[in-house]
Amino acid sequence: MSRIGVFICHCGENISRTVDVERVAAQVGTLPGVAFSTDYKYMCSDPGQGLLKKAIQEQRLSHVVVAACSPRMHEKTFRKAVESAGLNPFLCEMANIREHCSWVHEDREEATQKAIEIVGMMVERVKKNRVLPTITVPVTKRSLVIGGGIAGIQAALDIADCGHEVVLVEREPSIGGHMAQLSETFPTLDCSQCIMTPKMVDVANHPKIKLYTYAEIEHVEGYIGNFQVTVRKKARSVDEDKCTGCGVCMTKCPQKKIPNTFDRNLGMRPAIYVPFPQAVPNTPVIDRENCTKFKTGKCGVCQKVCGPGAVDYEQEDQLIVEPVGAIVVATGFDLYSIEEKPKGSPIKGYGEFGHGKIPDVIDGMTFERLASASGPTGGKILRPSDGREPKQIVFIQCVGSRAREKGISYCSKICCMYTAKHTMLYHHKVHDGQAYVFFMDARTPGKSYDEFWRRSIEEEEAVYIRGMVSRLYQKGDKIVVMGSDIAVGVQVEIEADMVVLATAVQPQKGADTLAQKLGISYDKYHFYSEAHAKLRPVECATAGIYLAGACQGPKDIPDTVSQASAAAAKVMTLFAKDKLEREPIVAKVREAGCVGCFYCRKVCPYGAVEEKEIRDRQGNLIKVVAYVNPGVCGGCGTCQATCPSKSVELDGYTDEQIVAMIESL
Amino acid sequence: MHHTEKHNFEPKIIAFVCTWCTYAGADLAGTSRMQYPANVRVLKFPCTGRIDPVFILKAFQQGADGVLVSGCHPGDCHYIAGNFHARRRFAAFRKLLEFVGVDLGRLQFSWVSAAEGGKWVEMVTDLTERVRGMGPMQEFRELALEEQWSGAIDTPELREAYNSI
Amino acid sequence: MTNSIDTSIYTAITEAIQDEARRILSERSVIAVVGYTAARRKGSAQPVVITQADDAGKLIFSAACVNNLAVYLTKAKKEIPKGGKIGIVVKGCDLKALVGLLGESQLKREELYLIGVPCAGVLASTAQPARELTGDTIAPKCRECDNHLPQGCDFVPDQRPVTLELAGKYSAEIARLEAMTPAERWAYWKEQFKKCIKCYACRQVCPFCFCEQCLCDRNKPQMVETTPRPAGNTAWHIVRAMHLAGRCAGCAECERVCPMDIPLNLLNRKMAKELKELYDYEAGFEVREKGPLAMYDEKDDQSFIK
Repeated sequence: MSRIGVFICHCGENISRTVDVERVAAQVGTLPGVAFSTDYKYMCSDPGQGLLKKAIQEQRLSHVVVAACSPRMHEKTFRKAVESAGLNPFLCEMANIREHCSWVHEDREEATQKAIEIVGMMVERVKKNRVLPTITVPVTKRSLVIGGGIAGIQAALDIADCGHEVVLVEREPSIGGHMAQLSETFPTLDCSQCIMTPKMVDVANHPKIKLYTYAEIEHVEGYIGNFQVTVRKKARSVDEDKCTGCGVCMTKCPQKKIPNTFDRNLGMRPAIYVPFPQAVPNTPVIDRENCTKFKTGKCGVCQKVCGPGAVDYEQEDQLIVEPVGAIVVATGFDLYSIEEKPKGSPIKGYGEFGHGKIPDVIDGMTFERLASASGPTGGKILRPSDGREPKQIVFIQCVGSRAREKGISYCSKICCMYTAKHTMLYHHKVHDGQAYVFFMDARTPGKSYDEFWRRSIEEEEAVYIRGMVSRLYQKGDKIVVMGSDIAVGVQVEIEADMVVLATAVQPQKGADTLAQKLGISYDKYHFYSEAHAKLRPVECATAGIYLAGACQGPKDIPDTVSQASAAAAKVMTLFAKDKLEREPIVAKVREAGCVGCFYCRKVCPYGAVEEKEIRDRQGNLIKVVAYVNPGVCGGCGTCQATCPSKSVELDGYTDEQIVAMIESL
Repeated sequence: MHHTEKHNFEPKIIAFVCTWCTYAGADLAGTSRMQYPANVRVLKFPCTGRIDPVFILKAFQQGADGVLVSGCHPGDCHYIAGNFHARRRFAAFRKLLEFVGVDLGRLQFSWVSAAEGGKWVEMVTDLTERVRGMGPMQEFRELALEEQWSGAIDTPELREAYNSI
Repeated sequence: MTNSIDTSIYTAITEAIQDEARRILSERSVIAVVGYTAARRKGSAQPVVITQADDAGKLIFSAACVNNLAVYLTKAKKEIPKGGKIGIVVKGCDLKALVGLLGESQLKREELYLIGVPCAGVLASTAQPARELTGDTIAPKCRECDNHLPQGCDFVPDQRPVTLELAGKYSAEIARLEAMTPAERWAYWKEQFKKCIKCYACRQVCPFCFCEQCLCDRNKPQMVETTPRPAGNTAWHIVRAMHLAGRCAGCAECERVCPMDIPLNLLNRKMAKELKELYDYEAGFEVREKGPLAMYDEKDDQSFIK
């Protein structure tokens, strides 16, 4: 039999003014199971808590109900007090007779009656409360960073500098990401590679960073503090330990006609290659699809010329399991393709802009490569079609972005600024050229951003035309740009030598597949979702996984770096403790009743439900049941309400507790 | 301001609310000293996703004259998506209750955020007043009073069997 | 009679089922076949499990083959042999239930060999199994059936059923009830639920009631009163309908086996109708990972929420 103690708080006069606390105490004292009932001026005060502790010991109380303010206010206080008196804290409940009663009712009789019922309800509930042990989860103090662009590099360096090991995984043969492709960066026009490559080298040399390039995430298991990540290290066909990076293989490779994707296909590269000269690691990779040796079995020149004997045609993909405690996702962005209709995408293309058909219609990233000193033209702005310098150049903003009819309604955030930058770079390189920009709005919030944009107009002579372009077509060696100037209200036609499209920022291809492996959520565009748009912008709802950079939404470099450092700080906060403690409000499966329909897994917002095989002593499979991982469970109880047989139960909010409350009314 | 009047019928209102939004909203109504009818009894859940339709049924069977279910606005769920699942579940359940003859005027769903103390007061007041107007929920009470099975045995097969005895 | 339904193809279908069962059993590609066989009374049929190719001749298909055999794969655990692929004879309506069970991880497609039946309809009642199948004797569910030809099976006989256009009884009855006032509806269901004797035949025959312990049998806490009193009966039928919402495939077996003739499938069909209207969900032949109440869309209707 329970020996419940009930403590009615006056809260000075806050409660006792409207509620006859003595009557409540007397009335509740008569309920079955209540062994002790009293009222006191301030239950939360030291003497109040002392009274509570003393009563627990002297009266040998089994459960406690404190009728006072909202549990949101003092539940922790009283549970702590109860714990210090030797009872499990979860055997204490609060009845809210202040916010939900004395403060919202004036009639003393009504309020007193209501208080009696509220306390009675909590008495019935607490009878069904069970002892819940605190759950502790060990923490593996290593982290995984997915993506080796500026976001991943920054996060990896910050965590590693703090002394924790980092596994950095990059899909491409080199880290560096999009930032390594850029020429200059706004708003200061410093050279992107000059600020990026030292960071890449820092990563390569950092004793705490384990770098996997040309590698992908195969599989993720586990939960916060305890992930097991399987990394697929794709066959490079070059032994990284033996290779000295001398580059002889690349110069001798007979196959040199492969479009260089790093240069946006403007240049060519051999079949054995590093994507760009400053690549980290400086170890070539054989592009097996285009290598003569792999296609025909003949050739083998690179192996013959390789002094250290690093070229290995037999190399296979390796699967490596890395235990980590936290994951930073920094997979970055991709650019919207404006070809007629991108395959498999719900997003409509821009057939009317002739991209892919008119060679001198390029996107912003291609312009970056043209402007880059290390690019295919050595930094000269030249037309891909005939290598002439364009004297009239048109930039078109919001291609894909803010175009609901094309399938994307968001703003890509960086295009206004980089287009302004492009007009400047163009003006610096082609002094007698004229740049035109078609734009809807100029969005330049950011430190020194608006000044930068104004400079492109006022000092660098770019002509901004507010309006949209309807069509582009080739006429002789010119591209006719047909658009409207809505400020003046006229149709505009410009015969341009080159057109640069500021195409929308999109998540990387395969972002959804990776999210499914990680168990994190994403929006309809496949940008990853943060746990809270305002207050938890770098955390995923899935505990232990953090976001950095453009994979979460379009971002410029400063924002990306800030978010990466913030994500690193979150990881370090997690690693500051050896064990994670969490409230034991988690769902548990009653295996005897579970029929394995997995409705719980279907509705679980956290991916906390796993399959568990039940076997007999001979090892024969009897059934497969659900298992809720307590480290991952968020404690919402959606599983229990959905479970047809109620074989999963949320501790602290069991059916017994709730039905007891309903039946008390 | 709610004026305390004496009514002939004081309905019993049971509210199922989530702890993060509506419970906090009701707390705010308290700290703001707003006044509302004392008819409501609040049951706290972590999330509307935890609220089983059976609880609503149980509440009516237990003598509730009105039931309020309230949680976080869409997108605000502390547990990401619990309220989205709840929304579908209750959309279906209320249709079922309606089909068996429960007047849906007795069952109110709402989104009340932690900042909407006023909306909480409005929800509770409206439901209480509406149900007061509708009178007591007799249907389940009458059922509970019927102690015995009273079905008529008149299937053709049974009648034939009886006649042949 | 003018509204008689042509069931002549059932003879050829019977032969085709027998041949196929014989073949798959003799090739040992299945260890058993769940089908129908003739029962004692003339024209009647009953479920059977055969494990020998020699027994294939026992299998039949006729208008008296009313049972949804999918239920045997979840409940008759002792009768169905273990350790191999099972063949099963399914009508369109049965297959939809089976597909639902696949989606709920109760069965694995690779462990099943599906013999689909092109079906023109079955009898409403097997009280007189030899009766001719007509627009009057046909089961109500067959009147509104869109699934005469099962899809996605491993084998379907070549015959094609000829069906009659018949007015839907369920849809008409649902519309009639919807037009009533809540009080009238309550009165209607009160009379219906009063009849219930809590024999749980509806639960026993339902392929989706595969829980090892039904929520309604629990006593800690007692969520639903178990005695056959009107209050408990009403709660049972409401909970049952809710638990089947978004899952029920409309085989109407619950209603067929109810000894008290409670129109149980009306509740299920009403829920199916609502879920179709709300979320465009219908039970079908395609295995879906999530039913309508196990998923959500951020834009779901919330006009009922203040």
